[in-house]
Amino acid sequence: MLTDLPITFALTDHFGTQVDQSSYAGRWMLVFFGFTNCRAVCPRNLGKLSEALALVPDLADDIQPLYFTVDPARDTPAVMRAFLEERFPRFTGLTGNEAEIGRAKDSFGVFARRVEEGEGQYQMPHTALTYLLDRRGRYRSHWPSVLEVEEIGERIRQTLEARLDED
Amino acid sequence: MTAWETKALDSLQIGHIRHYDNLSRQLPNDWSLMKGRGIGQDDFGGYRFQLAYMAYALALAHRHRLPAAPAVFQPIMKRLIDKLLLPEVWMYWHNVSRGGSVFNAHLAQNYKEEWNPVGRDNIMYSAYVQSLTLLYHYLFDDPVYEQEGSITFRFWSYFWGGEAKEFKYDQKSLNDHLYWMMVKSGYIGVACEPNCVFQICNQPAILGFRMHDLVYGGSIAEEVTREYEAAWKEFGRVGENGHYHIMLAEDTRVPRANAAAYPWVDAWLGTLMNMWNREFVRENYPRQVRDYLIGSADGLLSVRSTPRPSIKGETVVNDDCDFGWVAAWASEMGDEETLSGLLRYADRYLSPNWRDGGLYYPRNDVEGDEFGNRLLVEPQTGNVLLGYSRLNVADGLWKLYNEPWTKERFKQPALREAADDIDVSVAFYDAADRTLHLAMGRSRDRKGTGRVGLGPVPSEARWALGCDGVEVALGRGEEILSSAFDTLSASDGMIRFDCTGGPSRSFRLALL
Repeated sequence: MLTDLPITFALTDHFGTQVDQSSYAGRWMLVFFGFTNCRAVCPRNLGKLSEALALVPDLADDIQPLYFTVDPARDTPAVMRAFLEERFPRFTGLTGNEAEIGRAKDSFGVFARRVEEGEGQYQMPHTALTYLLDRRGRYRSHWPSVLEVEEIGERIRQTLEARLDED
Repeated sequence: MTAWETKALDSLQIGHIRHYDNLSRQLPNDWSLMKGRGIGQDDFGGYRFQLAYMAYALALAHRHRLPAAPAVFQPIMKRLIDKLLLPEVWMYWHNVSRGGSVFNAHLAQNYKEEWNPVGRDNIMYSAYVQSLTLLYHYLFDDPVYEQEGSITFRFWSYFWGGEAKEFKYDQKSLNDHLYWMMVKSGYIGVACEPNCVFQICNQPAILGFRMHDLVYGGSIAEEVTREYEAAWKEFGRVGENGHYHIMLAEDTRVPRANAAAYPWVDAWLGTLMNMWNREFVRENYPRQVRDYLIGSADGLLSVRSTPRPSIKGETVVNDDCDFGWVAAWASEMGDEETLSGLLRYADRYLSPNWRDGGLYYPRNDVEGDEFGNRLLVEPQTGNVLLGYSRLNVADGLWKLYNEPWTKERFKQPALREAADDIDVSVAFYDAADRTLHLAMGRSRDRKGTGRVGLGPVPSEARWALGCDGVEVALGRGEEILSSAFDTLSASDGMIRFDCTGGPSRSFRLALL
């Protein structure tokens, strides 16, 4: 595909630091959107992405995995840090206010909406694509959440190796 | 080979192809016979739908019935696609984009006039451009719409509107744009009129994604259909009465059920969705179609339309094309009995007409006769859909989508050049005996030289050309060893000769 997503974001990482796409310049970014209260899609995909990175140890150090929340009301930096450090330590969580998250979602073409479950509880069905951005923060690839771990690893390797000459 | 390939087209099928050809050849902005009852190209009878479904019908006829006759189909499809890009086809969007319909009037303050007909929403147009340009590439291996700016929407008037409006795309950038609109929607689909996500109008985009996968590789269609299916689970596709939902309102996330029930909803959606969701469509078809058919003692079948209610005291004028869509649906379902009943009804009551060798059913705004027989014919039904139904085969779209052709066919001999007066009823290549089988003749209704070109023929291959069972020429590559045809030539890997007048004749080009 010809995709040329104009990626921009300005958010807060799970350590409380202000970050944008330039903060990770020099490393590839593996980006997945979700929310820490997600019951199925996010844990499964974060697990697969973590396993896939383990399959490409020669490349993994060159990749910054990022987990953008679509639920900033509940996903504070502290909540994201606790969630990720315990279960998916490769990932850094990014959050912000509604407007900041809205701009990040638009930038990646991510859909998410709030579905009430009663008694103040809600889910956030969302786009479950994973994105790979190059060292300059430019879109290079994306894939749906149904890919198996081996396929993801291969996709990461192919994308990075195809771009080595440009680095 | 399939039974459809070896069975000759009948005169009615050839007549429909010729009518599509005739309409495709009308001069720019001449829309004779194509104007429906509605104004402004807003409704389901718009030129865009007629152009698109003529092209789809040609694709199906080429894929399933005359696979070795690209020369019959390619020029017509190209002309139809180029007409689809004309401003009169898409200019409705600068009005519709402003909103104000009953479905989005409450949101109209958020909308503004948009000129780019594929920029946002309007999948009821953009998906046809996307799918047809990619389908054209896939069928004919012609990357013309791959060139930068080859899909350009441009409008300028001497009389109003200021600067020219121009939007440039190609088949890849347009496909990419539609894909991301689909993603941003959460895969529920892209809207037509603002706020209105029709199930029907997102199906052509899925066909386009599949064609993109077949041309360039990848699995966009698989991803989108899987996610689309998951997204619609929340609402269900079918209402309590067993009929497909019409659309989903983006703002309220409430589906609009087909409570009426309108035949076009089930028929149009069932026709298209069969390509990727066959079991589901076939499960619903028998029960749904039963609600719409009106039978008679002699086996003719008509379609019961449900009148649209008035809106705020206004009469809704819309070419629903119920009869045509039910016929198209029956053809895709392989329901021969229903299709035959409908087509025989059309031939008795809908005034079939021949013009310049083309067969169509002229527009008739009279709803019915004094005996209650349906007479209404919209241009989309009479020009396009009844022909589509005759040219399609059972699971025609499904096979186009799921049983891709290999590129090997471009190396095999086929009818690759045909003068304007050539009618073709058989065209297939039998790989087992390395023989191209053709049946063709010259139409008395058309001007033309009768010249045809068969190829490619490998440069060192020995070949024999037969006509009506008699060998008429022998050759090796571009060398003609013997010939009973004065007009025969062999060059550029092609064997060319003039067909004579009179009845259709059969030809065989065998690679020895």
